[in-house]
Parts: sequence; structure tokens; C-alpha cells
Amino acid sequence: MRKGIAALGVALGGSMLLPGAAAAHGLVGRTDLPIPEWLFGWAAAIVLIVSFLALAVLWPKPKLEGTEPRRLVPIPAPVVIDFVCGAIGVVALCVLVWSGLTGEQTPSGNFASIFVFVIFWVGFVFVSAIFGDFFKAFNPWRAIGRGVAGLAKLARGGELPAPLPYPDWLGRWPAAVGIFGFAFQELAASEGNMPKHVAVAVLVYSALTFIGMALYGIDRWIERGEAFSVYFNLFSRLSPFEWRRDAIWLRKPLSGLTKLEPYAGTVPLLAVMIGSVTFDGGAEGEPWVSIAPDLSNFFQDHIGLSPESALAITYTIGLLAAVLIVYGFYRLGIAGARTVGGEFDSPYLASAFVHSLVPIAFVYVAAHYFTFLLNEGQRIWPALSDPDGTNFENWGVDYTIIGATATWYWQVAFVITGHVCALMLAHDRALVLYRDAKAAVRSQYWMLGIMVGFTSLALWLLSQSNQ
Amino acid sequence: MGRSQRIGLIVAAVIVAVVAIVVLSGGDDDSSDNGGTATTTSAGGKTVPAEVPTIVIKDGEPVGGVQDLEVDKGDTLEFRVKSDADHEIHLHGYDVAKDVAAGGSVTYKLTADIDGIFEIEIEDLKQQIAELTVNP
Repeated sequence: MRKGIAALGVALGGSMLLPGAAAAHGLVGRTDLPIPEWLFGWAAAIVLIVSFLALAVLWPKPKLEGTEPRRLVPIPAPVVIDFVCGAIGVVALCVLVWSGLTGEQTPSGNFASIFVFVIFWVGFVFVSAIFGDFFKAFNPWRAIGRGVAGLAKLARGGELPAPLPYPDWLGRWPAAVGIFGFAFQELAASEGNMPKHVAVAVLVYSALTFIGMALYGIDRWIERGEAFSVYFNLFSRLSPFEWRRDAIWLRKPLSGLTKLEPYAGTVPLLAVMIGSVTFDGGAEGEPWVSIAPDLSNFFQDHIGLSPESALAITYTIGLLAAVLIVYGFYRLGIAGARTVGGEFDSPYLASAFVHSLVPIAFVYVAAHYFTFLLNEGQRIWPALSDPDGTNFENWGVDYTIIGATATWYWQVAFVITGHVCALMLAHDRALVLYRDAKAAVRSQYWMLGIMVGFTSLALWLLSQSNQ
Repeated sequence: MGRSQRIGLIVAAVIVAVVAIVVLSGGDDDSSDNGGTATTTSAGGKTVPAEVPTIVIKDGEPVGGVQDLEVDKGDTLEFRVKSDADHEIHLHGYDVAKDVAAGGSVTYKLTADIDGIFEIEIEDLKQQIAELTVNP
């Protein structure tokens, strides 16, 4: 996690101490070894073999599209559970802001940084993908919004004025911007993971969320605008569990994604998700470590920025470039798929297939941050009883729970599984979309190209040495 | 999809598999050669005590930039830090911190039992001085 910036500090001459560098390794005690060449070769070969076989043997009739979930278990007393979960979320939010503002200013010694960057940002992704959209119940902004709306109703003695209609063009754009903002905070901002800065960012984001909910209504904003609800909801669609108000429903794994609404901004959101992990991985090696010092020096020498600002801007440019490259590559593949016929235009196809990028986005996070979660996540236990880090120097981490070799196999397994899931989703969608079976198959050559591209990029990132 | 198309794709998959096995098994030989060399070096290191790698700190920075240290898991890791000022030297991951006095030196000697990449830094300045790679 932004480890390259420390190396960069040295590359920049070493004489200036980068405050960013201090924060950079504040949360990471152990970095993964790059996957060795032979494993990279094998993984790439398996990806190609799986892809060809998939095209040859995948089902001729849709298997995921149009499947209906079935009721599994009822949720007892849904109102009480909703209230309790919401209250837990609000308490966590308050503790986070308090410990961030007043506690120990060491990222690895404060509940705020550990919770936000390790448990929330990474841990919740895994939990959502396995158990479904649990975050909605715990969402503190939703809970506070509902509480305030309830009080306002009481005070007014009647219904509140109806919110503004949510504009179609806005779609998931606020979520895309929000997730980019998080990635900026984590990867580019100067000392972005310092507890104080985390707490301030949380306060600013909370204010924006309340404005969004006040304008467009709580449920609508949570569903489309609130970045983390949208983010975790996307991953939760991988899960076989669907949480409804009064019961848990069981669905085919992945089939939740086929019901993803094609709102505006969804493709950019996925590009931000994949692009930010790409940048985090890619910033540790070439070509970025050669480009960044020049870019940063340019901002210092020619524009007169301070080293911290120059570095933050440089990293923001890198982050944005990674997102744009991911977006451009996807749109390129889609432009190819358009040529097979079927009278669909490019934007339509781009949003018709975007759900197949969700498993890829998941495995990018999973492969890149798996050990980060297992190792640094251990700090959450002491942090829960000592949130402001009074005694943080004794918060030990056992780095031996997963070795380097096991890590490599997990990472490669994640990446290949994501590839297969993406292929299945795209294939299923093509069968529904194209009435002509031949056009469906031809479109899949292009989709295959996109998937192989993203999967190879994932493997390449994992094989990057950060020397 | 036509039958011939299916067969074509399966043939393509088989070709990739065969090429991968041929190329990568060749690669395996290389890597086992490398492994062999590495073992010889470390075996040599055991009989003739190699010079202990030393990181020199001057004006709060490592002389010659961030140093690279590399050992295999299970081997003994030994390095020395010399400094021109009082500092606390912290080996992350293993979480060992030792003080070095101005003009003096401190030696670290421990078994490298956790694999991965770790930073060694001047704790009070948050300045990295070396990167330790422990290969599995």
C-alpha cells in the first residue's frame, strides 16, 4: 500500500524527508513477495486454456440470467434488527471520529486508520462477497438519516416534503467520484492515512452524504449515490445470499449481478475500482517509479509547489491515468464487440456487460490485499479495547499466519477464479442479448480479449518486484 | 456454435497446454539451477563467516541509499547499523527495535523465520534505511 512512495523519496535524492513516506508504511509491516516467474507463466497458461475451453463448452442457454431466488430463512423482528445494526454503525462512526481526532497519531496505532483502511475498505469487501449486502443494515449515514427524518416528521406532525427526483444522468456517478476520493485519500494525499486526516475526511464525507440524502431522499441516495453502499452492494451481488427486509433469500452465486441496473456512471465506477488497485500495485514498480520523480520535480521546479503537494499531485495524476487506462481498455474491447452486429451501440454494450467486471474488481482487491487484511487486520482486536491507541506499542501482529508460498497460490487462485466468473457472466449475457447465436459467440471473442487483458494485468501486478 | 468451432477451440487449449508445459518445464530447470547456486552460496556462508552487511547512517540517512538485504527463510539474518547520531533502529514485521549511540554501532542477529519484504527504518525519523527480503 503506497510502499513505492518510500522508495520514491529515496529516488528523489533522499535529502528531503517525505511526510508521505512516513505514513506510507505506517499500516504495512510486511509486504508480499512478488509471484515468481514460473508461477506467472503457469497462471497465464491456465487462464488461456480455461478461456478457450470455456468458449468451447459453456452452456448454450442462459443459466444465470432470469433465475429467481428462493426464501431461505425469515429475519425475526426486522425493525429491531435494523435499529440495533444502525445503532452499532453510528457508534462505530462516532468512536472512529473521536479516536482519529484525539488519539495516537500513528496509523497502525489508532482505531480510525485501522478500521477505515483495513477492516472497512478491504474486510467488508470479502464479507459482502461471501455473505451479501450486510453493510446496508449497519450503514451509519442511513441510520442517522432515518432517525433525523423520523424526528422531523414528529416535529412537523405530518409527512415531509417529497425529495427531488433523482436525475437519470447522475446515476452512479456520485459513487464513482466517492470511491475515487477514497483512493486519493489512501494512495495520493499527503499523510492521507494519519488518523486525524481520516477523521476529517469521514466528517466531510458524512456532510456530503447528508446533503445528498436531504436532496434526493435517503433510500435513493443510498442506492445510487452513497459511494460505500454502492461499492459493497456491487460485491454483495457475488454472494448467494440476498437480504430482503424480512427474510434472507438464496440465489445462484453471481446471479445477483445479472440484475444490476444499468444506471449512468456504472462503467466509470468499475474503472475507478479496478484502476485504483492497479495503481496501488503498479506504483511499486516500473514504469511509474521512473516517471514519478520527473513529474514531481516538474511541479516543484516549474510551478513552485512544496514537495508534499508536488508528490500528491503526481500521485493523483498516476491514479487518474490508471483509471483512464482501465476505462479505455474496456471501451476498446466493447467497440470491437460492436462490430459483430446486433444493432447495439457502444454505450449500450458497455453497460450491458459491465456487471461481468465485478468479479474481476473483487479479485483485484482480494489478491492485492489478502495478506494485508490477514496481517494488519489483527490490530483491530487491541484497537477495539483501546481505540485511541494509548497502549498501541504493545499491539503485536503475528506475521506467520500465512507464508509467502501460500500467499502466491491464493493470489493466483483468486485471479483465475475471477476470470472464470467474468467469462460466465459475459457469456450468459451474450446469450440473452443476441438473438443470433453466431453473433453472440463472436461478441465473446472480444469479451474474452478484455478479460484476458485484465487478468494478465492482475498477474503482472502481482509479479512486480518493488525493489 | 458449430462443431468444428468447438473442436478448434479445444485444440487451441491443448496447444497452449503443451506449449506451456514444454516452455515452463524448461524454465523450471533454470529456476532449479538458480536454487542450486543460492544453496551453494549460503552453504559457503556457513563455513566461512561472510562479512556482516553494514548500513551506515549519516545525517539521518543511509549512506548510498536504501540498502537491500536478502536471506532465505530459516537462515540466520545478521546485519550491523553504524550511526553518527543517537537513533532507534526498527526492523518491521519482526518488530525488533534497538538503540544505536552516536558514533557507535548495533548488530542484529536473528533467525529469519517470517518470509516477505520488510522495512528497516530509523524509528524516530521514520526514515527507511534498508529493505529486507526473506525468500521462502
